[in-house]
Amino acid sequence: MSSDFKKHKSSFRDPSGFVFIYQNVLYRQINQSYKDHYSHFISSGLYDKLVADNRLIGHEELQQNLSGDQAWSLTLKPEFIPFISYPYEWCFDMLKDAALTTLEVCLEALSYGMILKDATPYNIQFRKGKPVFIDTLSFEKYNPDMPWIAYRQFSEQFLAPLALSHYFKEPFQKILSNYLEGIPVSMASKLLPIRSKLNLNVFLHLHLQGKLASRGRKPQKNSNSFSEKKLRNILISLKDVITAFQFDSPSGIWSNYYKEANERSATSNDIQPTSTGSYIQIKKEIIEKWIDGHSFQSGIDIGANEGVFTKLLADKGINMIAADSDHYSVNKLYADSKITGLFNILPLFIDFTNPSPGIGVNNTEREPFTERMKADLVVALAVIHHFIIEKNISFQQVFALLKALGQFVIVEYIPLEDEKIRLMLKRKAVIPPYSEEIFVDAYEEHFVLLEKLPIGLSGRILYFLKKR
Amino acid sequence: MLYHLLYIDPGSGSYFIQAIVAAALGIAFFFKNIVLYIKHLFYRIFKKKSKMP
Repeated sequence: MSSDFKKHKSSFRDPSGFVFIYQNVLYRQINQSYKDHYSHFISSGLYDKLVADNRLIGHEELQQNLSGDQAWSLTLKPEFIPFISYPYEWCFDMLKDAALTTLEVCLEALSYGMILKDATPYNIQFRKGKPVFIDTLSFEKYNPDMPWIAYRQFSEQFLAPLALSHYFKEPFQKILSNYLEGIPVSMASKLLPIRSKLNLNVFLHLHLQGKLASRGRKPQKNSNSFSEKKLRNILISLKDVITAFQFDSPSGIWSNYYKEANERSATSNDIQPTSTGSYIQIKKEIIEKWIDGHSFQSGIDIGANEGVFTKLLADKGINMIAADSDHYSVNKLYADSKITGLFNILPLFIDFTNPSPGIGVNNTEREPFTERMKADLVVALAVIHHFIIEKNISFQQVFALLKALGQFVIVEYIPLEDEKIRLMLKRKAVIPPYSEEIFVDAYEEHFVLLEKLPIGLSGRILYFLKKR
Repeated sequence: MLYHLLYIDPGSGSYFIQAIVAAALGIAFFFKNIVLYIKHLFYRIFKKKSKMP
């Protein structure tokens, strides 16, 4: 086999085909066993319909056997998705939209005599701010006598985390990184509050399923008691209940951050103001000046909050990832991006003191966040002092993280004398090593300084760095 | 005869559970439709009355 060929580590479960990299380009192989289903998928018009509706990524067919595999039938070159994110990195509304897209795609497929043979959030990615189905091999010919094979999978991967988040107003999707196959229905049923049993759809799909599933009945493959109408009823019922789920937590701890920051003048308490404009405004002007000289394609904003700076950079045409550990902010940014149409923002729910690890078989099935993320520009504004003071992480560790994420870095240094840091220090018995000298020593290990500018007279400093 | 690629585990008793869930939903949708029909009927009656001079 050619050394140019590399099978994708997450593509091994489905015998219909697999994804691989050939000469640095991503392809999908269709095996002989899936040939009939694929032919129907194309000839029925389902593929064209889903691509036209922006619910499935498009592909190009190639008659070359690039893998050299005997099972080969056809090679597809799918549309490239620049960044692959996982459900445990999404906010509630993203998982909800992904679930609804899966159900809509399945309902559409039924109209063309096909059905989804699996229903996992890993088949969905976010393209231009919207969920899109990426697994072309998930469609198989529909047999009206058979129920939905992916019903349990859908319930555990989508319905259970969404229901738990809805009832407890906590982001339960995070635990999908521990439960790769989804939260077991029997477990979800035990965790959900009693009042959830009053909802007929939740009762049927989670509580009843959880109770019956734990009895261990064998699958009845030759059941003839099913029909398309019954299946549609199940899919519509799932769609109804998920549409009604809400994560309407009033606010996160960071929800007033920008209001407060905007009101803050760009001056310290002890110095007479000589500069006009807010702290946020001056920061924006400095960042705009720095990025204008570069042609950045991709960027990540660490601790993006509601995305004031992410939106600034996205407006400049940079494909931005806005990451924050505050779920409320991420959910709000996702909702705002849908309204404003700023579709080059991908909000992600990530704690950078514990970014997503590699999980699944050999810990390689789903890659760690730091291996997937290779941005042109990393922005870390008013955030690293939290890592150092609140979490006792060193500047060296912070810059090792920034180095892993991208080429250029804009980072804000906040001095110990800053009002916000003084407040944080009141809660600490021991102050971790913290000074501008330590900050400079730490970045010099991995980066060179391009420019540094003070943010008005606030005492805070912006650094523009480039990887060595 | 269709050849199905059953590569995921449907879960123990999943087909049986879906049959029960589908039956329950069938009954629920039946009553929901009756309620909707009655609501629609009332809507039409009151709409006609409000249009009368």
